[in-house]
Amino acid sequence: MNRGALATAFFGALIGACMLALGAAALLGRAPTIVHSWSLPAFGTPHFAATPLSGFFVLIAGTIAVPSSIYSLAYLRRYRGEYSLDAFAALYVLVLLSVIAIFFAADAVSFTVAWEIMTLTSCGLISFEWRDRRAARAALLTLAMSEFGTLAVVLAFLLAARPSGSLDFTAIAAHAGALSPVARVFIVLLSLFGFGVKAGVLPFNAWLPRAYPAAPANATAIIAGVLVNCGLYGMLLLNLVLVPQNAMLFGALALAVGALSAIVGILYATIDDDLKRMLAFSSVENLGIALTAIGAGAIFLALHRFDLAALGIGAGLWHMANHSLYKALLFLGAGAVDTVAGSTRMNLLGGLVRAAPVTATCFLVAAVAIAGIPPLNGFASEWLTLETLLRSAEVGLVPVKIAFVLAGALIALTAALAVTCFVKAYAMTFLGTPRSESTRNVRRELPAAAGIGMGLLAGACVVAGIFPAYAIQLIDAALPGTLHGQLAAALLPPFLEFGHGSGGFMRDFHALGATIGAGIIPGRSLVVLHRGGATNPVVFAMSSTYLAVFSAVILGGVFVTVRLFARRTVARARAWAGGLRSLLPEMTYTATGFSNPVRVIFEAVFNPRTIENTREAVHDHFRVAITRRRERDYVGDRLATEPLVAKVRDYANDLARMHHGRLEGYVTYALVALVVVMLAVVFLA
Amino acid sequence: MTIRTLAPDQLVAACNELRLAGWRLATIAVTDSELPELRYVFWNTNGPGWQQLRVAPPSPMPEGVRRIPSLTPTIVAADWLEREIEDLFAIDFEGHPRLGDFVLHDSRWEEGVGPMRAGARTQQALVERAWRPRRVLRDEGAFVMPVGPVYSGEAESALFLLETVGEDVVRTVPRLFYKYRGIEKLAQQRSVDDALLLVERANGTSAFAHAWTYCMAAEEILQLAVPDRALRLRTIFAEVERIRRHIAVLRAIVDSTALWVPAARLLELEEHLLRMCGDLTGHRYLFGFTVIGGLQRDVNDEALTRGVARMKAIVGSVRSIVVQLERTSSFLDRIQRVGILSPERAHEFGVVGPFARASRVAYDLRRIQPYGAYQDAAFEPPTASEGDGYARLRVLAEEIAISLSIVEQLERDLRPGPVRVEWTPSAGEALAWCEAPAGATVQLLRLNDEGRCTLLRFTPPSFRNWQSFRWVTEDFAFQDFPIILATCGLSVAENDR
Amino acid sequence: MSWFVRGILGGIHTMRRAVRAESAPGTTPGLPTSVSPATAEQRALEAICPTNAIVAEDGGVRVREERCVHCMRCSPAVTAASLPWRDDVAWVRGARREIDEAALRGAFRRSIHVRVVDAGDCGSCLSELTHLNDPLYNMHRLGIFVTPTPRQADVLVVVGPVTEQMRSALLEAYDAMPEPKRVLAIGACASSGGVFGPSFTSAAGAGDVVPVDAVLPGCPPPPLAILDALLALTGDRTR
Repeated sequence: MNRGALATAFFGALIGACMLALGAAALLGRAPTIVHSWSLPAFGTPHFAATPLSGFFVLIAGTIAVPSSIYSLAYLRRYRGEYSLDAFAALYVLVLLSVIAIFFAADAVSFTVAWEIMTLTSCGLISFEWRDRRAARAALLTLAMSEFGTLAVVLAFLLAARPSGSLDFTAIAAHAGALSPVARVFIVLLSLFGFGVKAGVLPFNAWLPRAYPAAPANATAIIAGVLVNCGLYGMLLLNLVLVPQNAMLFGALALAVGALSAIVGILYATIDDDLKRMLAFSSVENLGIALTAIGAGAIFLALHRFDLAALGIGAGLWHMANHSLYKALLFLGAGAVDTVAGSTRMNLLGGLVRAAPVTATCFLVAAVAIAGIPPLNGFASEWLTLETLLRSAEVGLVPVKIAFVLAGALIALTAALAVTCFVKAYAMTFLGTPRSESTRNVRRELPAAAGIGMGLLAGACVVAGIFPAYAIQLIDAALPGTLHGQLAAALLPPFLEFGHGSGGFMRDFHALGATIGAGIIPGRSLVVLHRGGATNPVVFAMSSTYLAVFSAVILGGVFVTVRLFARRTVARARAWAGGLRSLLPEMTYTATGFSNPVRVIFEAVFNPRTIENTREAVHDHFRVAITRRRERDYVGDRLATEPLVAKVRDYANDLARMHHGRLEGYVTYALVALVVVMLAVVFLA
Repeated sequence: MTIRTLAPDQLVAACNELRLAGWRLATIAVTDSELPELRYVFWNTNGPGWQQLRVAPPSPMPEGVRRIPSLTPTIVAADWLEREIEDLFAIDFEGHPRLGDFVLHDSRWEEGVGPMRAGARTQQALVERAWRPRRVLRDEGAFVMPVGPVYSGEAESALFLLETVGEDVVRTVPRLFYKYRGIEKLAQQRSVDDALLLVERANGTSAFAHAWTYCMAAEEILQLAVPDRALRLRTIFAEVERIRRHIAVLRAIVDSTALWVPAARLLELEEHLLRMCGDLTGHRYLFGFTVIGGLQRDVNDEALTRGVARMKAIVGSVRSIVVQLERTSSFLDRIQRVGILSPERAHEFGVVGPFARASRVAYDLRRIQPYGAYQDAAFEPPTASEGDGYARLRVLAEEIAISLSIVEQLERDLRPGPVRVEWTPSAGEALAWCEAPAGATVQLLRLNDEGRCTLLRFTPPSFRNWQSFRWVTEDFAFQDFPIILATCGLSVAENDR
Repeated sequence: MSWFVRGILGGIHTMRRAVRAESAPGTTPGLPTSVSPATAEQRALEAICPTNAIVAEDGGVRVREERCVHCMRCSPAVTAASLPWRDDVAWVRGARREIDEAALRGAFRRSIHVRVVDAGDCGSCLSELTHLNDPLYNMHRLGIFVTPTPRQADVLVVVGPVTEQMRSALLEAYDAMPEPKRVLAIGACASSGGVFGPSFTSAAGAGDVVPVDAVLPGCPPPPLAILDALLALTGDRTR
């Protein structure tokens, strides 16, 4: 056993367990615990506070860290002798520690320092396979974009800290009312940009589809399951906790950015042929959905509809948490596929369910969950997101209604495409015939540790899906300030109490569920129910618990009936291939083929850069080859990253001219700089 | 008819000369499989006339170097003919870019068997070998969609390999000859009467046209003067068969676009024609109606008059259905601008029949190289220039009307008389041709003095037309495939023989 | 006017009589039958039959119907010394085993699905099969459907003599069918090889490759005979 792999697994799991304990304590403890650390000259005393919100994020981080670390034990073997696993262990542990620090930070300095450690170490993880040029380039791009993000974050904090003159979060929050409107607008924009880079939402997420596939799978699970959450946490912290006056503007922008990220992310995910890159784009989509819900909640908050605000922000947090669970699992699964089959290109995979049943089963659970199919966890949070958007009917403002309807339409389309996307991912990877020699030769899957890691996450997906009532209570506990308690009150009415004189059936239905549920499972409710107000007496009811029980009974019943009563024996025969002896692998659908209709329909978005179409022919009648090469570039690259890079290059070229090597010139620069600084001090003080 | 003898190295130049002078390649026949001696048959597009080029090496070629220069680079229409001969006679065509795995599938036959050669070892242990389709499309995620050989409801067996990246099909390669029955080989041992049965059953839905062609060849060898009544009746029933086959193709087109009502109506009208044929000639598909020397049985004049009247009503119904179809926009949307065969390609590939006429290649043997009683009828074959599915539909509909007019013209002057002459066997060789429902068909027949068939070379129209099929099915949406296939009206049985 | 309305206004065209009772002219070409005792001229027909379907024996003439290819040389309309020709359509006969109606009644009591395999057909048998969809015959009213996949098929209909290159495809189709299944060989080619088989490219009918339950002679057998055969093979539910 390799030392590095052992260290990764042991310390990772240990930190994960600590995270679970700390997170749970902070979440359920309610009262913030403040820890003062040693004093730093010039920055004051960095200190840390355990709030329920940060507790929730740490809890999720722990849920991902423990299985990923166990998985590492089996996964890291592939790097033995090629890359230093000790380095990996060090980076991995540092990332996890920095994450704890980020969530518990109670002042801007400790937050920023922890943030920087997280950024640097995660870039180290991305470039772990440094001999691969693409990994190195991806890490550099990630680093560059993250640093721009950090810059924006620092500026936002400085702006927010101006009225109080302190970088302490409590002080900032106390004086937030004194901020000028212009400063508030800048805080929103800077935080959306700075944290948006990390969260991977449009437009500055070009690093994401490059970095995720490059990093080792267990590191990607942490990046996708934990680090992107930091971005959302930062946005929430700055705009809803520290400067709650920002809610309306932040909500509107978040709604737009979120909905667009969701649709663009899922479109690119659907047409991508690389399993890992597809999952990366799918992260863009999921974070987009979460941000949409949070944005909707923020708008409701600004309109003082606290129940709806709780619903929206709760749905967003829940979706983010769900995304962490299944996306980490999917990346672990993709890593397992990569390790045994030697590729993540779906056009080369296929039929792995026979050789790798455990991976296939766990991947299936995650795929069903992420596609939003009940009773798994993705369903409930997507449902609540859509419900939040529909509840805009209760708000009088027409622009809000229009924005919500548009966002709702995009999210609904996203949900539909997500099914296509993950049907493709699962079918092309695990079903059908192997499409390459190396896939055909796969005999067994990764060792048991990998199975345990993935199994834990799959179990978490199932449990979180079947018992939404518990998840809702956890999220409710995490909600900041005035929202606390609203979510549970809105969604989880107490047993046998049903106001508004609503219909008999619903009452009976609910009562029945309560009665059965009370006897079997302790808990407040098995039905997630939301009633409209007097003007809009709509009832939204959703119970994945009942659904799970119902489907289990039906499927079990069918299975038992067939087993007991069917007299027919099952005959097995080869697949019918139109009379051909055997269906060759090249005669089955490829991943590209499966998603081609989507590609054709959304050609306007994808805007392929060049279609090179070479037809070689002999005498023009015997085609020897039709070669086609399509270069599809990511819309985020095209619209945001590339213009930015070009601009930066231009500036860099201009600045390069200042490096002329003459001493008197440099002296002049120093003098000018000194004068500028002095003038600034004089005028600003 | 002139037969010129050439040395192999003169062949390509001579053929090119003919091509430039407006002659078209009809077929290539192997008249001696061992020397080998080949016959290149051309017909004139500018007026009546046929020409044959006999190509043979000065001395028998040894095994392994049985090589003839390929005509394909000069005349593309020779492509499939040469591939067929290479498979069946093990003659190599020097300069042909793609030989092998054509008539004889590599999965079933060893290379170089040449089952048509005299004394070839045809009874061999047949083994199933691995076979992979030849792929041309190189693109990320490209794959081959196999359709067939057993597919759809009552479809003929053929495998279509659709090269695609999803729903857009880039190219289609038909893999035919699943139904290869070796008619040309089987005919060689049979009497002249029994070989007729084979030709008749090459394609049951155009049986009469092929049987008639065969009879014309045999009658020329035997120097028979077929009675005028038989000649006219043959012409009449050839047109009846054309009408019936065209209605069947129209039905297939309509069926492929899922318009069940007109499809059912056309099927019913076709059945009425079948019944009419059964009533008049004893067989619904006119099997056994034409024999060498005339007709096997006479047709009752009154019944024929009634039949023609009924046919007029049927054609009227078809006309009204077509008019309605042309007003159905959902139907037109699906057949317009799909499966386009450009006039240049149609000409180059030697496409024949209504398929070619829809692409402005207006050759019709009934007019250009007349036979039967067609000189006595006034008609002009229709053409269209778009070359798409709709053009083919229009040409078919117009040909139905023209065929009816030919039938009416000939039936009016039908005089009583004998329909069959007796004959005694004699040796000889003859070439015969006919405009079958699907287009020009050519047969080269050789008989010995015992009345046995020693050589039959049979190039049906579908063989010519299938060759261009892969150009018709390029860059289309997958769901259009059945429609394109239907509009081409190609018969697999006729091609495979 | 939409096609739907035109279809409705067109009325019902389906024949009203039972399959075996239909007698419109031209629906069937007829089939030569055995005769005993036979005249010398009739016995001489043995020599002109191209497929040896006519056998002169014991003073009579026996017709091996499955070999008849409808060359019409022994038809009353062609020669005075003809065999009697039947004009009914009940031509089907069991080959492998007698058709056991009682045993089949259970399995094929309801609708039956047919997979047609073209194993070298000239197109006329397929054309006649297509005409079962004809409003005049309308096999659907009798609960017979053509299915594109053998997985759902009860009856495998084989046409053509089974060419070498279709042999494995036919076997594949047969193997892909679930039990209970029946195989019906339609036409002279599938029944006996017809004019083609056995030869270097063709088997002597479907029986050489798959176990055939019933053969239907004729070249081609008319739609009515096919309908009758399908009904007889699957337990004659409605005839």
